[in-house]
Amino acid sequence: MRGDRSTVDRLDKPSAYFSNRKQRRRPERDHRDGDEDTNTQPEPPAEDPLKDATTLYVGNLSFYTTEEQVYELFSKCGEIKRLVMGLDRFNKTPCGFCFVEYYTHQDALDCMKYIGGTKLDERIIRTDLDPGFEEGRQYGRGKSGGQVRDEYREDYDEGRGGIGRAIQQAERLKDAERGGDRQAEYGRLR
Amino acid sequence: MADYDRRQGGGGGGGYNNSKKRRYRDDDDYDRRGPRRRFDAPPHVRIRKQLLSIAENPMRPWHEEVQSIATLFTDNWSDELLRVNFVELILQLAIEQPLKTPFLAAVVLVANTNKPEIVDSLLTTLVADLENKIKQGDWRDVKLYLKLLACLQNCLEGEGVFPVLDELFSRAVDLQTASSEDTIGTELVKIILLTLPYVMVAAPDQWQQKAADLMEKTEIIASEPHALQALIEPYHPESGEDASSSMSMIGLLQSQLQTEANSGWALPCLPRPWDFPSSEAEQQSRLATAPKHALPTIAFPKTVLAGPRPLFPEIYFSVYPNQEVESVPSTATAATSLIRDALLDTINILHYNRNVAARLLIEVDCYFAPRTFAARATPFDRLRDIEAPKSTWKPEDVAVDAVFSQLFQLPNPEHKLVYYHSVLTEACKLAPAAIAPSLGRAIRYLYRNVPRLDMELSSRFVDWFSHHLSNFGFTWKWTEWVDDVYLPDLHPWKAFITGAIDKEIRLSFAQRIKNTLPEAYKPLITPDKEKEVPDFKFADDRTPFAAEGREIAALLKRKAPDEEIQPVIERIHVLAIDNNLDPLVASTDVFMTAVLHVGSKSLSHVLAAIERTKDRLTDAGAASDAAHAQIIAAVMAYWSSHPGVAISIVEKLLNYSILVPSVVINWALVSHAGATRGEALAKAHIYELVFNTVMKVTGRVRQVVQKTSQPDVMVDDETRDRDVKAMRSLFRAMEDALSAWASGSKDEMIEAADGDGNSDTEKLVRRWGGRWLRVFRRRAAIEESFLLEAAKEKKPDSGDSAPAVAPAVAAEVDMA
Repeated sequence: MRGDRSTVDRLDKPSAYFSNRKQRRRPERDHRDGDEDTNTQPEPPAEDPLKDATTLYVGNLSFYTTEEQVYELFSKCGEIKRLVMGLDRFNKTPCGFCFVEYYTHQDALDCMKYIGGTKLDERIIRTDLDPGFEEGRQYGRGKSGGQVRDEYREDYDEGRGGIGRAIQQAERLKDAERGGDRQAEYGRLR
Repeated sequence: MADYDRRQGGGGGGGYNNSKKRRYRDDDDYDRRGPRRRFDAPPHVRIRKQLLSIAENPMRPWHEEVQSIATLFTDNWSDELLRVNFVELILQLAIEQPLKTPFLAAVVLVANTNKPEIVDSLLTTLVADLENKIKQGDWRDVKLYLKLLACLQNCLEGEGVFPVLDELFSRAVDLQTASSEDTIGTELVKIILLTLPYVMVAAPDQWQQKAADLMEKTEIIASEPHALQALIEPYHPESGEDASSSMSMIGLLQSQLQTEANSGWALPCLPRPWDFPSSEAEQQSRLATAPKHALPTIAFPKTVLAGPRPLFPEIYFSVYPNQEVESVPSTATAATSLIRDALLDTINILHYNRNVAARLLIEVDCYFAPRTFAARATPFDRLRDIEAPKSTWKPEDVAVDAVFSQLFQLPNPEHKLVYYHSVLTEACKLAPAAIAPSLGRAIRYLYRNVPRLDMELSSRFVDWFSHHLSNFGFTWKWTEWVDDVYLPDLHPWKAFITGAIDKEIRLSFAQRIKNTLPEAYKPLITPDKEKEVPDFKFADDRTPFAAEGREIAALLKRKAPDEEIQPVIERIHVLAIDNNLDPLVASTDVFMTAVLHVGSKSLSHVLAAIERTKDRLTDAGAASDAAHAQIIAAVMAYWSSHPGVAISIVEKLLNYSILVPSVVINWALVSHAGATRGEALAKAHIYELVFNTVMKVTGRVRQVVQKTSQPDVMVDDETRDRDVKAMRSLFRAMEDALSAWASGSKDEMIEAADGDGNSDTEKLVRRWGGRWLRVFRRRAAIEESFLLEAAKEKKPDSGDSAPAVAPAVAAEVDMA
């Protein structure tokens, strides 16, 4: 009972991102009512991929934040082993996230506790434990090359290319229908 | 941003990563449009919630809250789950949120009037746990359990907790007699002294004699200055200045409690939630006549351990001393130590949730007796209007002061420094109007004292200050220091200003920071700092070897094989010899600079470039000492306007063993410091470079030593001895170089001397040398004491004789 639950929530817990992903990959397997006794052997508890994680996903960066700035802040929790900037799949320009890898799990946890939710380049950044960088993950997975969240975002975010790109595109199209001359004024990317 | 605004409220709230994203929420299950369905949570859930948030609401009288929780508990006595949970939760809260301990004790005391069995089961579990904590050397938890027991003194049989305190004391005496450098014994005495006041308010007027006896005994240990204390003094007074030595926490505590004892243990700051108002006289008398319980005997192990954290003597530190109006308790009163102790525990225990830690700090006035503090957010200027018996202690100042005492603790606080940064940031976010002015006054105090602050601490100050500003739009009233911009670069104030601005730029960019500064400061940001990529010196034909530099850069850019580079290098050698230059130094400079230029776009680029050329760089370094030094010289020169980048590159070059620590130290303290006639010693980034390098070496030694003590890990004693030896010789080299600066015997200083060697510049340089020396002597001493402890631990089981530990730092200063 004790030790299970602290009287205060911990900030170094991973988000629901990976556990949700796992669930979505195994659809509806355990949802049979009432017949647990038939050949559903209790699965051996899966090894937690984040148990010794030394890597963090860092989100909500400005597109203009540099590697050096990330180093400067994140080194406060320990030496950085590797830093991979998230890039637009097509332009290969930073698109607002990165992976920071430390030498130890403890440094990664400390970073969750002390740096996640604070500001870098005057934006509140988000950190999440990550099982480790793999080639390909440095690219945005949104339709237009950046992160998915920057496709349909309705608020204007100067550090992340204005409003969502899909919305910008739609506006450009609409504008073209109305008469192309003012087209260039709208939704121009910086 | 929105993600963070949806923090869950409530006692245990404050997590930010555990709410599911909106888009996964299933609206069918949970219809929020209808009227909310009412249901009463089961009692164990309600009790948990109420205990977690006990005393948090300043509008609710303590006795009401205590009584209602106790009644809810005893009314549901038949619920076994509840009974188990209750005990567990009380104990858990006592060690996780110690500010609440007296209130938990009050709940237990009231429950005792109705269901006395609960106290027995609480004591049984507590004692078992406490014995464990003692065995593990978890002294903070021991202290916190004793605090709970002390608050329960009135329902304990016989002498209650006193026998435990007596036992602790006899252990302390044994340890202190065995070794004068012992720190556990001091820690035990500290625990005794911090427990005593809670006993005295829980059971007033009964234990004066017992307390007096105990304190008479602790006096000798508490008032004896510890051997290590001189090393960890936060201030480093200049020669001739009055060396007002700081006070040790434990010495202060002893004398404060003596004063309390003389005035009948009034202890007005401690809460007494077990005192009921006169309208509740009946409840009060039931408390007085409630059954008493025997405290089970607590077994002590034969030998006590230092526990997981190295123990160092603690020094009282405040950023609000000697003000015209007292905004924090003076060191004469016990309130200083008692409040500080409770806040420090809160801060250090709750490292896993800085939001809650910050909230508890801001609410500090909820957990001490009413009227201990002035109203929250009273401006400092209004404190002087407060009339006599009322308190002028600003809760914000008291809270912030506690965090600063950790940030400025030597040798190290319990957690990484950035944790304390984050607590201050959160506190400032939660209550900006109340906290920000307190931080401002703290900053001014620290700034004024920068010249006499230990250099490690002034470096921490630069680091915190710039990081803090980066979280609040880089706004600071720079105008108030504007006169100091015109001081020489060697002045500690000017050094602070340039160091802080540099760190701000590293977290942001030059143009941004320039816009936050008054006109007078702008020249400090040179045009080179605004360039993202430094100029390539070989682009200019007037630079020697310009053509070769450009050629190598071009070859590197197209990843040409090494055979194509070699001829160019040889050409440089020939040219250099013709010009009477060291050929290896010349070619190393050209090559390293070209690598840096090719990798100038980002750290990833330069790391990739180094990775491709590491063999050539390693060979160049091995060829001659001068060439080896030229590698770091080239890095520091190329990135001179962006020292943060230079420091990162040097760190990686050390990892590749292209550079070695002694080369870095020698370059910084001898060549570069010499070339600048000591001015380099005032540069924050040079200190950072050296400090990081030393920490890398000591970190490695610690790792290796810890590994050799585990039999299953394959690190042999030879590796360990070699690393230890290398570390000691590094510290010796630093001692030599720095004591030459500190004594003014450095050649460059003697050459530069105009007259009797007592110009302001020379005095400043000597002072910097002295400050550096102190930092690294301390580091050396700490590592030696670590090795000594490790050897002690190893001895009993392995039996092999530990290597004799020679002092790393020669006591006498080498004046040669």
